[in-house]
Amino acid sequence: MMACASLDCPVNNVVATRYGLQKPDGTPDTMGVDTLWAWTTRPDGTEVSLVNRLCGTKATYFSISPSYTLPEDMVCLLVQNDAGTFWKDTIWVTKEDYPHFEGVDCKASYFHTITGVKSTHRLIDTVIINKKTVDYDTSTAHFLLRLKARR
Amino acid sequence: MTHRQRTSCFVSRLAVSLLLLVLTAPSAYGQKIFRMEKDSIPFFRGISLSFDLVGPVMLMASDHGEYEGALRVNLHDQWFPVFELGIGRANHEEDEVTGLTYKTTAPYFRLGMDWNVMKNKHLPNRIFAGFRYAFTAFKADYINENLIDPVYQYKVLYDIKGVSCSQQWLELVFGIDAQIYGPIHLGWNIRYLRRLFYKDGDIGKAWYVPGFGINDKNNFVGNFNIIIDI
Repeated sequence: MMACASLDCPVNNVVATRYGLQKPDGTPDTMGVDTLWAWTTRPDGTEVSLVNRLCGTKATYFSISPSYTLPEDMVCLLVQNDAGTFWKDTIWVTKEDYPHFEGVDCKASYFHTITGVKSTHRLIDTVIINKKTVDYDTSTAHFLLRLKARR
Repeated sequence: MTHRQRTSCFVSRLAVSLLLLVLTAPSAYGQKIFRMEKDSIPFFRGISLSFDLVGPVMLMASDHGEYEGALRVNLHDQWFPVFELGIGRANHEEDEVTGLTYKTTAPYFRLGMDWNVMKNKHLPNRIFAGFRYAFTAFKADYINENLIDPVYQYKVLYDIKGVSCSQQWLELVFGIDAQIYGPIHLGWNIRYLRRLFYKDGDIGKAWYVPGFGINDKNNFVGNFNIIIDI
């Protein structure tokens, strides 16, 4: 039996968590004249940048790829205003991981279910889990970061 | 809608239209299909065994294929109830781009009927049109031994074995049999496969379905058979 068929990989094949920025009252926040960096520490101890210089009035969210199978991801945040004052915070996200397969032509990936989140609350007033399922859909924020007033 | 989706939609509509036409036609043609021709030829004309040659060649030349045989009953040279049994195998090892391995080996079966659409039914050469219902249940392995987390840069164990899947599908068949010598015939057929019901595993799509081929909503396949009348 011979056959002729095709299997297409999804165009949007990046698994990422989206962090929406909000003011303490729940209204949308932007970085404005402030600048945000995010980074994490790998299992081997080296650091890797996740977000570099997020700024501007259109900067209402950022996206970060979760680890494939680590039980807890740590994300360090640094926000600096135009006067040079900075705030640091750290977020820890716990999750369950599920291998995902589209086809042999498509990169293997992992989907996740978020089970918990916490932060040091130095920059972040509250962090809310808005969507637990992490897959190719990054149109909705998974976390809502209600940032403290910075001036 | 993509070109492929439009083609699929067109073929599906054509297939359903033809099936409805045959089943509902009150005309002479509709009656012809189901009416036994009045002649001295006995109703039961024997059985035949057939073996597909394309599947084994596909297995040798590519990473998937089938061994398949069929038992066909000849009723008055007009109707041919068919039972097909095969074993499908895929062993796609370490894709050169993604590094993924997909393995499965499982049996499948099909049940259906062929109609001899030749005007003179009792010639040794035949033209068939028919349909099949097919089913398979299989377990698949998904392995990537060199998967590296792109951000955290550590090796991930991606080794999922024995994921249970199943699928049912319909086939529309058109084919030709030609007598070569005595009870030996050669024949080819082309088939349009339409997936009906399926259960993919927990981790995503089954890449290859035994008897159906590379997994999709529909498929076109072709067979080349050696047929022996018993």
